[in-house]
Amino acid sequence: MIALSLRFAARELRAGVRGFRIFLACLALGVAAIAAAGSTAEAFRQGLASQAREILGGDLSISIQQRRFTPAERQVLEKTGKVVFSVASKAMAEAPSGDRRLVELRGVGPGYPLAGKVTLTGAASVDEALAVRDGVAGAAVEQALLDRLHLRLGDRFLAGNLPLVARAVLLDEPDRLSRGFALGPRVLTGMKAVEGGGFLAPGLPFGETARVALPPGADLQRSKSVLVQAIKGAGRVRDRDDAAPGIHRLIDQLEYFLGFIGLASLVAGGLGVFGAVSAYLEVRKPAIATLKALGAEGALVRDVYLIQIGALAAMGVALGLAVGAAAPLVLGAMVKDQLPIPALFAVYPWPLAKAAAFGLLSAAAFSLAPLGRARSTPPASLFRSDLSGALKIGPEIVGAVLAAVGLAAMAVVTAPTPLAAGIMIAGVAVSFGLLWALGWGAAVLAGKARNGARGPLRIGLANLSGPHSAARTAAPAIGLGVALLAAVVLIQSSLLKQVSEVAPQTAPALVFTDLSGDRAQAFDGEVARAFGQPLTPDIYLRAPFVTGRIVAVRGAPIVLDRIPKSERWAYDNDISMSALGPQPANAGIIEGRWWPAGYAGPPQVAMDVDVAKGGGVKLGDLVTFGVLGQEIEARVAVLRKVEFGGFGASFPLVLNPSAFEGASLRQVAIAKASKVQEAAVIRALGANFPEVNVISVREQLEAATDLFDRLALAVRAAAAVAALAGLLVLTGAIAARARARTREAAILKVLGASRLQILAAYVLEYGAVGVIAGLAGVGLGYAAAWPVVVKVFQAQWSVDWTGVVVLVGGAALAAGIGGLLAAFQALSKRPAPALRAE
Amino acid sequence: MSDATADPLVLENVSLTLPSAAGPVEILRGLDVRVGQGERVALVGPSGSGKSSLIAVAAGLEQPSGGRVLLFGQDLTKLDEDRRARLRRGRISLVFQSFHLLPNMTAEENVAAPLEIDGRRDATATSREWLARVGLWGRARHYPHQLSGGEQQRVALARALAPRPALLFADEPTGNLDAANAAHVATLMFDLVIETGAALVLVTHDEVLAARADRAVRLRDGRVAQASVAAA
Repeated sequence: MIALSLRFAARELRAGVRGFRIFLACLALGVAAIAAAGSTAEAFRQGLASQAREILGGDLSISIQQRRFTPAERQVLEKTGKVVFSVASKAMAEAPSGDRRLVELRGVGPGYPLAGKVTLTGAASVDEALAVRDGVAGAAVEQALLDRLHLRLGDRFLAGNLPLVARAVLLDEPDRLSRGFALGPRVLTGMKAVEGGGFLAPGLPFGETARVALPPGADLQRSKSVLVQAIKGAGRVRDRDDAAPGIHRLIDQLEYFLGFIGLASLVAGGLGVFGAVSAYLEVRKPAIATLKALGAEGALVRDVYLIQIGALAAMGVALGLAVGAAAPLVLGAMVKDQLPIPALFAVYPWPLAKAAAFGLLSAAAFSLAPLGRARSTPPASLFRSDLSGALKIGPEIVGAVLAAVGLAAMAVVTAPTPLAAGIMIAGVAVSFGLLWALGWGAAVLAGKARNGARGPLRIGLANLSGPHSAARTAAPAIGLGVALLAAVVLIQSSLLKQVSEVAPQTAPALVFTDLSGDRAQAFDGEVARAFGQPLTPDIYLRAPFVTGRIVAVRGAPIVLDRIPKSERWAYDNDISMSALGPQPANAGIIEGRWWPAGYAGPPQVAMDVDVAKGGGVKLGDLVTFGVLGQEIEARVAVLRKVEFGGFGASFPLVLNPSAFEGASLRQVAIAKASKVQEAAVIRALGANFPEVNVISVREQLEAATDLFDRLALAVRAAAAVAALAGLLVLTGAIAARARARTREAAILKVLGASRLQILAAYVLEYGAVGVIAGLAGVGLGYAAAWPVVVKVFQAQWSVDWTGVVVLVGGAALAAGIGGLLAAFQALSKRPAPALRAE
Repeated sequence: MSDATADPLVLENVSLTLPSAAGPVEILRGLDVRVGQGERVALVGPSGSGKSSLIAVAAGLEQPSGGRVLLFGQDLTKLDEDRRARLRRGRISLVFQSFHLLPNMTAEENVAAPLEIDGRRDATATSREWLARVGLWGRARHYPHQLSGGEQQRVALARALAPRPALLFADEPTGNLDAANAAHVATLMFDLVIETGAALVLVTHDEVLAARADRAVRLRDGRVAQASVAAA
């Protein structure tokens, strides 16, 4: 039976793949997108793995905050392997001209770097760049600092009170990726210089890191646990296998986003697959009926065509895999030197296998139902061409459903965050169902509306309501593509507006840190003078600031695994705290009462409600904080909603001031300021408050806006792949009906219709499909984007109406052009031969 | 009259009603037809009288709405589609007015197809032999679209007779052919049917062709108008 099926299938396939170009294109497109996403992500993963030691700067890295390593700790470190120490702080850099800017200052000890190499221009080596000459230490600085302070190599500048000479341009450091986000340009100098600059006093916000190169044969994990014990868990120990966890997460998310677009393309293109298989089997109906008349059972017929579809699906998948594997190689070769992350571009089997599985499951999900109809094609259709196989529940439908479920399950299981993936897949499935129902509804409505229409409109509506209506095939596919594109456009435009328009109005423009408490009043005066206006609470707020860690709740130590990932940041790190007497404006109290202004009883705390919820903390509970080297136990008096991006007391933890009795807390201030005021205050503080760091939020937001702008096009281009799948389905629908259209056009011509009338009818028909798909797609995109913007990013919702109009108009235009092409093709044939052919 | 159990085909009170947009249409109304072994029966009648539908029902391609169809003693109305297909294998063949050759198979493969479906190992050799018998030995590797109408029908005839069926249904086999080709195909068909001993049920408008049968059954409005008329 199988041999016979194979033989018959091979004979059928000799006719070529003419009717299957769209089938192949739809499958290849989705598979290529998934394969390319997976291969690129794997290239980055392998790149990171191959340079893990360089990225970490050694085999192990151990970081502590606001203190130096003790002699005992140093002894343990030096026993473990070869050690290089470095310290990091923030400082205001100042040029002789008075220009100032926040920098990330780093002092490195002898032997740096332990792994990898520092890339510089202007100096031959790190030692040469950092050497002390004429009593002034050298520094390697990023070009951005030279540009901002109008410095040249060889010029002197101050970092806080520390004089330095810019001796080299710092292009790259081996351990840069593992250190993450920077608030300003990096300045690399010697450890001794930083020690002498007064940045490392107890309580100041600095950190020290030791990087260790293990001797050959040493056990990585055992050495790591020795270090963890040595610092008693009060710091962060990383090994080379965990060099850049943030980057790994980013790669996972990027792969999933691009892979999801591929998957959505496969679903949208699935209608093209369904349409191509249905059209092919419709053409083969006489052959199927003939085979049955010759004694073939339904299963033989099904197998003959299943083998053909399977072979073609394999061809489409292979095509997609070839493109998906080659694209990263080609792109990688073009941009490799500009990539911020190391990458090893190669052909990786696992991402390709995953993409192939997605492609084959999608092909099965969308082809098996038409095959079921083919199996049940009645042989009597040889006598009555209107007879077709009925779609009954059988092995093909069961197979199609299992393939669809398998597709969804695989998408969820292989995702970095299965819950989000599940929601996204469910969203695609629901959208697809809605679009399909809408297509049917539109066809029915067109059928009703045509009674009141005349001329081309009536022809267009009749076609739209007919058994081969593009509203039922192309509209859902285009709609799904538009929905994805619309979701991306709406999310991007809302977030862009948030960072470029909303945040600059609501967030402070400047943040001042490292202000000592006893000079706070003088600082206020300095700022007021520089601003040229009195400081009011709506433009300036100053509060005590300290960092501390939540160590216990109700007397029980924190168990990180029990805290949801979304809130773990507040429990696995030192977080910001303040001490406020009177209740601040816009305190956002949800539960409890703020303590009286002069309260001096047992410590009380106001906690952010989400942080509290994450740790299972309730009003009235006792929470223990590790702060300033001691433990404070405070009762939760207030649960409040903190607006972290807003202008206010945005501290997750606020204690009553007497809780810190005797300690001199440093202060932090925030201010709203114009660009002129910003420049004036940064310059003015150089004279009397050089130690105060000024973070320009405006600058960070501008950088974020710039990054968004650069990413927007790439992300939209990626999402457009799904829309392309929709257009492929439209092309398929047009191609499948080309012969019938030619005959229809011939009949219309015989009946006296002009070319213009026929053109108008087809453009109306397909244009309507585009409008339906565009509007529905934008509606669904809106529904998908809103919760992401408002709930996930907690940003202000805004609609990019230009984008919406472009999407709906684009869908209508593309479909209308499709109709025009269909009409031109039909009208290009002479009526007589077209009618004779029938 | 032949013995009922030995007769290849017996239709008893067969009716066929098909749905249509304008309501159900009665195609066959209580037909009784019997075809004996090796008997050649012509079904004649005007268009729409139910001739082709009768073949579809008798060959098991369509289930009747009422009555019984006994094919080699087996009641077709009690068999599902796959079992009816198996029953046809090697015993029943059909020739159609529009040939219905498999377009992606060569002439040789078309003739071999029913033999292969029946699991015959000599399918290719038998196919070549039958193509030679219909005078198309040299066109074995040609696809249907490379053959003329007459040649296509000769391939269809070879395909129908290669399994040496006991019963051949022919629905207007010369209806799409010019006079010369029609005569050639008709002669070939009758000669081969006589040679193989197959019974023949022939639907035709052509009275001359019908006259070559042993008897003719005349249909009108889905009923037998005149049965068992001995052919001239």
